[in-house]
Amino acid sequence: MEEKWSYLVDEYRAMLYRIAFSNIKNRADAEDAVQEAFLRYMKDEKPIQNKEHEKAWLIRTTIHICLDILKSGWYQRTVPWNESFENAAKNIYLPYQVKDDQTLDAVLQLPVHYRNPIYLFYYEDYSIREIAEILNEKEGTVKTRLRRGREEVKKFLTERRP
Amino acid sequence: MGIQEVQGSGGAQAYQKKKSAERGEGFQKSFLQNLKDRDQTKQTAADTQNGTGQSITDTQGEAKKKAKSVGVGRIGITSGIRVNAVAAQEALQAVEVRHMSYEESDHIKIAVTEGYTLKGKREDGEDARVYVEAKYDDGRLEAYQVEIDRVSENTQQEIERFALETMKEA
Repeated sequence: MEEKWSYLVDEYRAMLYRIAFSNIKNRADAEDAVQEAFLRYMKDEKPIQNKEHEKAWLIRTTIHICLDILKSGWYQRTVPWNESFENAAKNIYLPYQVKDDQTLDAVLQLPVHYRNPIYLFYYEDYSIREIAEILNEKEGTVKTRLRRGREEVKKFLTERRP
Repeated sequence: MGIQEVQGSGGAQAYQKKKSAERGEGFQKSFLQNLKDRDQTKQTAADTQNGTGQSITDTQGEAKKKAKSVGVGRIGITSGIRVNAVAAQEALQAVEVRHMSYEESDHIKIAVTEGYTLKGKREDGEDARVYVEAKYDDGRLEAYQVEIDRVSENTQQEIERFALETMKEA
């Protein structure tokens, strides 16, 4: 049984951490969110159909936990001191090299309804169908958010340019 | 002379009546003719438009067919990365999408502001070939095989340039 959980943690921990960090932009809180997601998965008694479903469940739960943390009264009243929102991209630790940190920074500044589809599509390489399943949205909604989010990123980068 | 004049005048009146009647008939005729003509013109214009529309559709259809046959897919017609048809015929070939992951790729490009990602992997074998997978934010997924020997070093075509970069990275 322990082997199963350790396999699960090894398989998804890094990816879930990146998703949590993209939402919460704080290392400690992102790690807490991922741990909480694993705990909920272990406690959850619903049967998981397959690996894809398992992954989608974990991502969705992690995002929900992050949003709950961000909405909490404590979080609303405090400002993290150790991470700069401007350089959030440096703390994402993607398994590949990203040449353009500025764009990733811009993506991380987007409102949550644009940020998650864009981050999952471009940086975690999920398809529109998978994102729709993870975020519990229609495929058309995901496409629209990708398009509008892209426009927001362009706008952000243009305004930032000297 | 006066009678003649009166007669003349009467004749003139008769002439006028006849003339106006003729004119009336003429007007009617020309009006009807004009109506006919206009209908015909409309019909011809509609036919022409349909014909042209058809021919545009045909041309696009042919272009699509050609594009597909040389591996351009829908890229040349809809938004996306433009592929030069000649270059495409020589170096690019559309292949089946393998759903390659980032981890499996030798080189990746994330173009958020352009709305696509590219993944490239050098193919095993003697020939210098690169497999490129393009994913667009409208849901399209396309794959190409690029023969590096046929790609110009100064190519401006995005897929080819990316394939060259992949070759260097691999």
